[in-house]
Amino acid sequence: MEHETNSAILCRGITKTFGPVVANDAVDLEVRYGEILALLGENGSGKTTLMNMLSGIYHPDRGQIFIDGRQVVIDSPVDAMELGIGMIHQHFKLVEVFTATENIILGTREKLQNPRALREQILELGRSVGLEVDPDKRVYDMSVSEKQTVEILKVLYRKARILILDEPTAVLTPQETDRLFAILRRMREQGCAIIIITPKLQEVLSLSDRVTILWRGKSIDTVQTAQTDARQLTELMVGRPVSLQIDRPQPPETPRTIMQVEGVSANLPDGAPALRQVSFDIRAGEILGVAGSGQKQLCEVLAGLWPVTGGRLLFGQEDLTGKNASRFAELGIRLGFVPEDRLGMGLVASMGMTDNMLLKSYRQAKGPFIDRGPAKALAQRLVEKLEIVTPGVETPVRLLSGGNVQKVLLGREIESSPTVLVTAYPVRGLDINSSYTVYDLLNEQKQQGVAVVFIGEDLDVLLELCDRILVLCHGQVTGIVDARNTTKEQVGLLMTDAHTSEEAVS
Amino acid sequence: MKKSRKFLALLLAGVMLLSASACGGSGAAESEAASQPAASEAASEAPAEDAAEPAASEAAEGEAEATGLFPPIPKEELKVGVIHITNPAEGSGYTYTHDLGIQGMQKNLGLSDDQIIRKIDVDDQDATAIENAMLECIEEGCQIIFATSWGYMDTCEALAAEYPDVIFSHGTGYKSNGTNFNNYFGRIYQSRYLTGIAAGLKTQTNKIGYVAAMDKENAEVTGGCNAFAMGVASVNPDAEVYVKVTGSWFSPDGEKQAADALIAEGCDVIGQHCDTPNPQLSAEAAGVWGVGYNSDMSKDAPNAVLTSTMWDWSVYYTKAVQSVIDGTWDGSNYFGGMDDGLVLYAPLSDLCAEGTAEAIQAAQDRIISGEWDVFTGPIEDNEGNVICAEGEKLSDADITGNIHWYYKNVTVK
Amino acid sequence: MSTQAGGSKEPLIRVVKRAERSPRQVTLLRLEALLLSLVAGGVFILCLGHNPFVIYATILEGAFRSKIAFQGTIKVMIPLLISALGVTLAFKMRFWNIGAEGQIIMGAVCASYFALFHADWNHWALIAVMLLAGIIGGGIWGLIPALCKVKWGTNETLFTLMLNYIALHLVNYLRDGPWRDPTSQGFAKIARFDANAALDKVLGIQFGWIIMLVLVVVLYIYLKYTKQGYEIGVVGESANTARYAGMNVKRIVLRTMFLSGAVSGLAGMVHATGSDITLTNAVAGGVGFTAIIVAWLAQLNPISITVVAFLFSVLEKGSSVLQSSYGLSTDCADVLQGIILFFVLGCEFFIRYGFVFRRKGGAS
Repeated sequence: MEHETNSAILCRGITKTFGPVVANDAVDLEVRYGEILALLGENGSGKTTLMNMLSGIYHPDRGQIFIDGRQVVIDSPVDAMELGIGMIHQHFKLVEVFTATENIILGTREKLQNPRALREQILELGRSVGLEVDPDKRVYDMSVSEKQTVEILKVLYRKARILILDEPTAVLTPQETDRLFAILRRMREQGCAIIIITPKLQEVLSLSDRVTILWRGKSIDTVQTAQTDARQLTELMVGRPVSLQIDRPQPPETPRTIMQVEGVSANLPDGAPALRQVSFDIRAGEILGVAGSGQKQLCEVLAGLWPVTGGRLLFGQEDLTGKNASRFAELGIRLGFVPEDRLGMGLVASMGMTDNMLLKSYRQAKGPFIDRGPAKALAQRLVEKLEIVTPGVETPVRLLSGGNVQKVLLGREIESSPTVLVTAYPVRGLDINSSYTVYDLLNEQKQQGVAVVFIGEDLDVLLELCDRILVLCHGQVTGIVDARNTTKEQVGLLMTDAHTSEEAVS
Repeated sequence: MKKSRKFLALLLAGVMLLSASACGGSGAAESEAASQPAASEAASEAPAEDAAEPAASEAAEGEAEATGLFPPIPKEELKVGVIHITNPAEGSGYTYTHDLGIQGMQKNLGLSDDQIIRKIDVDDQDATAIENAMLECIEEGCQIIFATSWGYMDTCEALAAEYPDVIFSHGTGYKSNGTNFNNYFGRIYQSRYLTGIAAGLKTQTNKIGYVAAMDKENAEVTGGCNAFAMGVASVNPDAEVYVKVTGSWFSPDGEKQAADALIAEGCDVIGQHCDTPNPQLSAEAAGVWGVGYNSDMSKDAPNAVLTSTMWDWSVYYTKAVQSVIDGTWDGSNYFGGMDDGLVLYAPLSDLCAEGTAEAIQAAQDRIISGEWDVFTGPIEDNEGNVICAEGEKLSDADITGNIHWYYKNVTVK
Repeated sequence: MSTQAGGSKEPLIRVVKRAERSPRQVTLLRLEALLLSLVAGGVFILCLGHNPFVIYATILEGAFRSKIAFQGTIKVMIPLLISALGVTLAFKMRFWNIGAEGQIIMGAVCASYFALFHADWNHWALIAVMLLAGIIGGGIWGLIPALCKVKWGTNETLFTLMLNYIALHLVNYLRDGPWRDPTSQGFAKIARFDANAALDKVLGIQFGWIIMLVLVVVLYIYLKYTKQGYEIGVVGESANTARYAGMNVKRIVLRTMFLSGAVSGLAGMVHATGSDITLTNAVAGGVGFTAIIVAWLAQLNPISITVVAFLFSVLEKGSSVLQSSYGLSTDCADVLQGIILFFVLGCEFFIRYGFVFRRKGGAS
């Protein structure tokens, strides 16, 4: 067969179980030199597990792996590296206080050579694939895409011919994504084999040559990208036909402003500015999208969890500046907040649903004791209403799947009948079904007159779901656009706007 | 047979362990009863049950000397408890010396090994550990418990009140109750006086060093030091005794440093009242001489040690246990001396000056015969005060508790 | 098809993460570990030339054989259990309070002040004041590291550890200086308390066992059913979640550490006035550290803590009988305890991980 000659990786019948969970069930996969293979699948379909086995972090229970047509056993990341496999993880594995060069050579067996020659070598390596990097810059000074560049150089320096990238675009702007893809294409031309894991269909379609789809741990199909489309891929991925259309009900004709943000500034934990003079309104019955850097601090400021260094937060006539979340409730302001870190902030991971329902309301009971009765009833109601899959309302929520966790959190916030609902990355990590449930719930709230703030990273979703989009760049508002007649490129441009270029370095 | 009982006890206990029930206590007590010989079982339960025997306390007030306070105990049924502060396996020093005494008593009286219940490494700072150790001795059926360390005193006092049928005999302290809690110690100063003679005759610089564990507040150490100094003065009125206090009973470094400092002062004989042989080792290293304490330290420093002040605790232990067996225990305190053989000195080494043996023998004869004792007037302290006039003697109470002065030829460094 | 074997081989043993085990399996695993530890301890005893069954039986006998023995076991258990409850409060909050030792000592010191210098007060008033003093003394010693943590972000592990030594040396200072027993002829010790200042005995054991049992129930309820207990759980899980819920995290940390120290302080008070009847530098004697092990072994559950503390006390008390009965030094007993701990703590690893051995013939 033809693939015998240029097959980079061939997996046959790879099976991996974690206790009772079968993460990979007889998975077959092949990637050849000179091609980009996209690995597509919902959360929990076993993509990362499979890649971790290729990079030597896990060991398969059954099945064979062939590299360059030769059967191998990969016991450690060092083995993988020696076989020419380089993995770029979703969460970067860099030493913050080291320079790019130091990170790149870290762990290689070579002796430290002449720094200038090394520097030249790294620059040359970067030029060969079109990567730009300052070899002496320290990682803590780097932007996300610079860190990613270092990660890529790290594996190239080790002479990797097979690259695995786990959701590399999750943290990049559209422009940065384009740049990355250009580099990957160039590497393909140079004969590398590349596997990219991404949940974004557009990226799969624009970049890859072939797509392997995983569904519940099984490799159900491999298709030529040129012969498929988003709909077919989604159906394969979800296992049944779905509609990809996100609803967008019309907002009220004359929107009522509920909350006013006036010239708010705030700092990052290290004292660097995170928000600069941000002003906008939050209106009843509409979904306001927020894109760009500084989102995280913005939503915490709105929720009264982050101190502001300037400006005001007005809720009707009430000045909320400097008041913490528990004061909000006392002032009769019902603010729902779905934070980015669901299990680390919005919920208590080791507690069951019942106790999590109590999180914001436990003070309401009289006396020193906790009243779990209503909380339990609420938990059971949510389980039914949102079809939350859980063994019981006392099961620790960390044991639930990502989608169910989000339903618990969003459900609780909605049940508190908020006037403002702030959601940070509410569909991050969720499968398609769960994502659509979330969109529906948010639209439902919007129609009930709730002012919804949607902080998101996927511009396609923002553009389809929101009424207006607030774009931030380095903590500054670079535009508030009407989502109905704005393109992705326009938003992307605002996120990296030139008029903030003097601050781009900081 | 005995094995099967133990196994039964284990099984029963294992069941309890699994069910982890707090009410397991009574069950275990039963299993214990099954596995113990009948005699000791009776003995171990006796003290707990018939508390406060009125006869005992009456006897104490009345004619304590004439008859014993407790009935005789057959030798086979006797059990003796010993509480040690460290481990006798150390091979020298305080605990070792006491345990030699216990072993001597055991041999003298012909007791078997399981009649001696030893509790070792009982921290004298940990009141609860002390109490537990003593209670375990009581449980094992001990009729008499020897508590060898000073710090055990308060616990002895408390338990003696709680367990009036068990005898608590406490070494080195000062408390007692006249019935089942007595105090034992010895006239170690007698031996120190004699070894002082050896030092006084040997010195060439007329400067003699003395490493003391405690300062003037401690009557035992200060009295011992004075006796040593008086022994020196009796044969060499020109010699001075220089004292250095370490402030600790057991301080290997401190003791060495003190001895080195004294040698640097010009002292050429080093006496000591502290636990380690380090002062003697210092003397040997510096090429001078010394007088050891507790055990025969010529084993440690053969080229320096003239002789050593020593205890033979078996004398008291034998006497005390014998009186328990005979039913003649009278609850009185014990303060034995050279006449009993409790206090002695190590054989004189060849290093001693000529005439030492004779001088010591003469003094020893007077002490043993009772004709004279160390703390007999005239005694003058180093500040010029007359402590004891010509012809008078210090009482035992003063000797054990009130010597807070230094003899006239003593200088504290 | 090329099935030529690679250069490297599959490792002999691999560690793999397991799915969550059911509580039943976990309990079973712990029992297995206990059993295995007894077997390993048995081998150790055998090496010393003794019969392990006899030795184990002696340990149990030593702890249970008579009323006195059982009372002794409980006496060991009282400070251990109470201070384990104390550290549990802090650990629930993920505050690494390893300063129970110092908190015990400070509780004992404060209570001892009244026992030494106000022994003439009415007995029950004195006991009440001493209880309060123990609570406040330990509480303040717990509060100091918490204050520094919320104010300056100091490391609580080091801070609480260091406070242990300060407390210990404070006792030494009091013993050698101001509180020295005037009748002790220069020996450095603190006088035995007046009988009026000693805790009463109930059923032959100092009153502290009742305090201990009451505390178990109170803490169980406090942690499980009160708002404050709920707050501790949330703060322990994530300070961010607590902030999100509008909790005043600093106040909760301070309050909980005061309570944690206070409970340990109570342990010190109870031990000094109930068991020791004096103040010594051995009043804590390592109990504050053992309490940490007890608390974790019991998964911070007050009821399980009671069981674990009891088992520890049995081992402790039984071992001391072992020493006198078989001449096994107390160090051997410590080794036995160590073996048991090794297995029981080691099994926690197997609750989450398992070993997979290389299959014969490799991949086929």
